[in-house]
Amino acid sequence: MPDGAFISDDMPVTLEGCATVGELFLHRCREKGDAVAHRDKDMGIWKSFTWRDYFDNSKLVAQGLMELGVQRGEVVSILSEDRREWLYYDMAVMGIGAIASGVYTTDSAKQLAYLVNDSGSTVLFVENDEQLDKYLEVKDDMPGLRHVIVFDRDGLRDFSEDKVIFYDDLIAKGEAAEKAHPKRFEAELEKAQPEDTITLIYTSGTTGPPKGAMISHRNVMFQLSAGMEVLESFAGDEQLCFLPLCHIYERLITVYVQLGVGSTVNFAESVETVFDNLREVSPHTFACVPRVWEKIYSSVQILRSEATGVGRWSMDQAIAAGIAKVKYKEKGEVVPAGVMARFKMWDALVLRNLRRMLGMDRMRRAGSGAAPVSPELLRWFAAIGVPLLEGYGATETSGVASINTSDDNNIGTVGKPMPHTEIKIADSGEILIKGGNVFKGYWNMPEKTSETIQDGWLYTGDVGRIGNDGALTITGRIKDIIITAGGKNITPAELESRLKFSPYISDAVIIGDKRKYLSCLIMIDQENVEKYAQTKAIPFSDYASLCRAPQIVELIGTEVDAVNKDFAQVEQIKKFRLIDILLTAEDDELTPTMKLKRSFVETKHKPLIDSMYGE
Amino acid sequence: MNAPAPVLSMKNIETFYGPIMAIRGVSIEVPKGQIVTILGANGAGKTTLMKTVSGVMDPEKGQVVLEGQEIQGKDPDHIVRAGVAHVPEGREVFPFLTVHENLMMGAYTRKDRENIADDIDMVFEYFPILKERRDQQAGTMSGGQQQMLAIGRGLMAKPKVMLLDEPSLGLSPLLVQEIFAIIKRLNAEQSVTMMLVEQNANVALKAAHYGYVLEIGRIVMAGEAKQLLASQDIQEFYLGQTGESQRGQKRWKRKKTWR
Repeated sequence: MPDGAFISDDMPVTLEGCATVGELFLHRCREKGDAVAHRDKDMGIWKSFTWRDYFDNSKLVAQGLMELGVQRGEVVSILSEDRREWLYYDMAVMGIGAIASGVYTTDSAKQLAYLVNDSGSTVLFVENDEQLDKYLEVKDDMPGLRHVIVFDRDGLRDFSEDKVIFYDDLIAKGEAAEKAHPKRFEAELEKAQPEDTITLIYTSGTTGPPKGAMISHRNVMFQLSAGMEVLESFAGDEQLCFLPLCHIYERLITVYVQLGVGSTVNFAESVETVFDNLREVSPHTFACVPRVWEKIYSSVQILRSEATGVGRWSMDQAIAAGIAKVKYKEKGEVVPAGVMARFKMWDALVLRNLRRMLGMDRMRRAGSGAAPVSPELLRWFAAIGVPLLEGYGATETSGVASINTSDDNNIGTVGKPMPHTEIKIADSGEILIKGGNVFKGYWNMPEKTSETIQDGWLYTGDVGRIGNDGALTITGRIKDIIITAGGKNITPAELESRLKFSPYISDAVIIGDKRKYLSCLIMIDQENVEKYAQTKAIPFSDYASLCRAPQIVELIGTEVDAVNKDFAQVEQIKKFRLIDILLTAEDDELTPTMKLKRSFVETKHKPLIDSMYGE
Repeated sequence: MNAPAPVLSMKNIETFYGPIMAIRGVSIEVPKGQIVTILGANGAGKTTLMKTVSGVMDPEKGQVVLEGQEIQGKDPDHIVRAGVAHVPEGREVFPFLTVHENLMMGAYTRKDRENIADDIDMVFEYFPILKERRDQQAGTMSGGQQQMLAIGRGLMAKPKVMLLDEPSLGLSPLLVQEIFAIIKRLNAEQSVTMMLVEQNANVALKAAHYGYVLEIGRIVMAGEAKQLLASQDIQEFYLGQTGESQRGQKRWKRKKTWR
């Protein structure tokens, strides 16, 4: 196919001769055989699992599911933390032509029931007793479920109930079935058509109930083949998986990109240990959300502040040398020899160690997506020699639609469209996307689908602009646009991402629709603000009292003022309040990727908001 | 908190065991005439916090203020004289001294010698068993009696604030009830200000006015005792109530949110 040309719907998309994910899975597992596909940590020790294990386990799960009577086109839900078995389920379900749908472990029982019913799932995989209890709580509301498969038997030894079986029972069924019908799984794998739905990805649903986006084999194959053209990925690459696999971002990278390139996926033990796991694995490519990059940045800032005078000085010198180099690169100019030499020296003295300490010494490409990231943060990582590149996409574009690459990185933009993808801006400012990555539609929601896809163009709901260099800049969500009482249109995303760059601010929501002025609700970064309070001897007991401390309010005030300086009068934040409850992913206000949800924040913290518009 | 002025307050205390930071920035206030309890699991830093107040350990950072005077880093004997009585974990009575002699040791730092006899009578009134055994060697008494003696010895110093480190340790449930009833009476009738460290959250919160929850050297929750008793996290993690379960048994723990 011609470079950059658009691929029409009837043209096949293939990678290494495979047109479906099923074929690719079969091909990759056969090719790689005993090479390591996955690693996870068991009782503190990393264990390796091969591609053969991947295939064989997926096959047994698939055979077991077929014994349970799962038909092509049925939906199977998965409620589990990231683990290798998640992938076995996923490939098994995909392999037999059924559709996998992920449920976040942070979802409540009620949400689980909604997702199971909306998707019409007939089988539910749950990880352990904790998740099983969610099923038991709402089982009467989910009449369509025929089977529940529990992975972990711990704490459930004496448990038995109608419909519920355990993973080992399923594998035993699968083994028997494999003896009776050998090669049945392989045959099923080859039945898949490119247009078949491979998975449902439920959008986080900041407005209204979640919608299941149907992703097809072709969508995934398109992403992989387009990705191969611009992203250098190699078979020996190590990856680290820790974001929820129910989200398209981690799913694409951990499941599909791995199949595409034959890399090794390492599963982090938990979200809490991810920085340790990062150091242990030292991945070649790493994709995560801005919040994680912000956290890494602030942890280095804290280290710096605790270092000796000499340590601080050399750190500052090294960063300055890095920034100087980055400035030339950003302008597309050749870096002068002197600047380069200075950078090389500081790189050898400081930055190399810093990267090793962060577990980024082998990192060839780091990605940030799923939320806006501040340009300063990207420059800082570039300065320390970590190529952090921002991309853009949505569930509806099967993950990625535009991306910066190491050769062509426009900081502050989300990069140029992926190969064979067209992006244009509608008169309303809305970003429209056309390409093989545009999803099939929403599950059982034809009206929503026809609203979202018109004439082959996906209406993303995001607003942005395309620069002269062809790179896309996102300015916000259409629904988020704030029109102040004075009639001024403001897209809050820019202000918010600038605020989040402060090590003391974890997230922020700008308020001001139909109001006299802009205000802001702020979630502080607990760790860094506690450290600050401690060094400044500001007494506090729990989180709420920390948020109440006048010196802390003052600290956040100066951070807000610093951001305000760069904006025009009407775009400035006049008042702010701190959310004094420590939110967790279980709370409605946070998405599973720990972003504040505007609509929930606005309703749940209404008194706090009203207090800023009193008098 | 809406309470009388604090007798004892700690501000941003950090205490180390060698390189290990046991107390990671703790601020606590103990108002006059109240019982403030500090809850926490093993290794949370409760005892370290007590020792930091009584001068057995010195904080790396932060202040301990007793009635406006900074006392951190001073020697324990100075702090006792300043008005802090520490009733240590595991009682630590003088085993070869009699009950009476133990009580006299508690009054060692006092200048008003003439009132000592009255106070001994007061202690005997609260703990009649000690009167019965006034001439018995303390080491030969039961754990509960030793605990009573340790509290009595603390009272004999006429402290401004009394630190009680796990008075329920190793005692039968009945004895725990008895001792806490006396602690409450002492607070109500003699207006003894107390800082009470406990693992037995149930009795501690019922006796105390205010509570703090300490986890790995940090305060994660603070509030009126009543409020803490009603908190879901306290109920599950400190009072052992697992709430309703679908299966009649539950192994997993909910995530702590501390609200």
